[in-house]
Amino acid sequence: MNGIHDMGGMQGLGTIGYQASEPMFQEPWEGRVFALIRAVPVGSLRPYIERIPAAEYLRMSYYERWYTAFLTRLLEQGVVTRAEVERGHADPAAGKATPAITPAVARELLFRTPREEQDIALTPRFHVGERVRGRNIHPTTHTRMPRYTRGRTGVVERLRGVFNLPDREPGAGEPTPQHVYLIRFPARALWGEDAPAHDALYIDMWEDYLESA
Amino acid sequence: MSQRHADHAHDHTDVPSEPALRVKALESLLVDKGLVDPAALDVLVDTYEHKVGPRNGAQVVARAWVDPAYKQRLLADGTAALAELGFAGGQGEKLTVVENTPTVHNVIVCTLCSCYPWPVLGLPPTWYKSSAYRSRTVMDPRGVLRELGLDLPAEVEVRVWDSNAASRYLVLPERPPGTASLSEADLARLVTRDAMIGVAKVLSPRAGGGA
Repeated sequence: MNGIHDMGGMQGLGTIGYQASEPMFQEPWEGRVFALIRAVPVGSLRPYIERIPAAEYLRMSYYERWYTAFLTRLLEQGVVTRAEVERGHADPAAGKATPAITPAVARELLFRTPREEQDIALTPRFHVGERVRGRNIHPTTHTRMPRYTRGRTGVVERLRGVFNLPDREPGAGEPTPQHVYLIRFPARALWGEDAPAHDALYIDMWEDYLESA
Repeated sequence: MSQRHADHAHDHTDVPSEPALRVKALESLLVDKGLVDPAALDVLVDTYEHKVGPRNGAQVVARAWVDPAYKQRLLADGTAALAELGFAGGQGEKLTVVENTPTVHNVIVCTLCSCYPWPVLGLPPTWYKSSAYRSRTVMDPRGVLRELGLDLPAEVEVRVWDSNAASRYLVLPERPPGTASLSEADLARLVTRDAMIGVAKVLSPRAGGGA
């Protein structure tokens, strides 16, 4: 969706606030949010972060957004009820679950690389070196196609493998596996003649985001 | 420890911030429902506070500087080459290592969110997740780098990598001059988080490199 999160190329969004070093978590509660999300797997939270109204999104800190998305998802899936959240403890009538993530499993997560690539043989539509253009599409779902690539022409640099298209409602139907391509966009193709002639931007694009140019 | 944490330690009447209360309440609820083991949360927090971080990436970079065969494997398949040194985990499936040279400078950003190579750099710093860094780096990388203290000559090609999909990126910085006699461990100490994001160079020891 054309949400506030799709920030690439926007201007006027304040200062970077660079710091040479900082604690991994600014406040202890941030670490707890991070860990809770890992301990209760409820699927991707990115679509829920992106639906936070723009004014609130900008006002919230990073981990407030994750907390908000996590709670929304827990409620939507019926993992917790609004009444339980307000009371702060479980409905006595509700059954007691067994934690999915034990300390031993949590220790293993450090060494487990989740695999999203799909072992499916598909014929790629585009080849390395081919000129391609970002399609003029405006998905209302989550998407990994930043709007600054729409209508812009680049070159296929590399094939990344087959991955499920992320542009879908959470939990909707069968996934759509397709090739992902690394595309090189010259800076001038994206930002006009004022951009330095040699500079470039590299980004992964699913097949549905591209057309031949 | 940040100033903020230090203040907390000395001020026991401090009222917890509202998010702290809400998160604590949610944690209690999930524990009460049997969905969460608080000890597992402690392990997860400890892992990302203490066990994963830029020191991992610095070891990878130093190895690549001293071992040309390793460097070749690293550039060909980052994930496999990381595994050789024991680094794996979330956000590491498709790790692509991009090499800085005298003519090419790479810089990493995630415009849509906060994608970052956790196994080698840990969790991203706040500024990397800021709206300004996310919005500006794709359009004006040279301006952002200048603001962060790195002024690149016009003839150097700047490559911006927007980590929007499954790929995560690590910049392999240039080995600084005057380091021929350094051991791999000493080299690793020179390599900074910022150099592996691509917003800085690795300085030679005489110029004040390392932390």
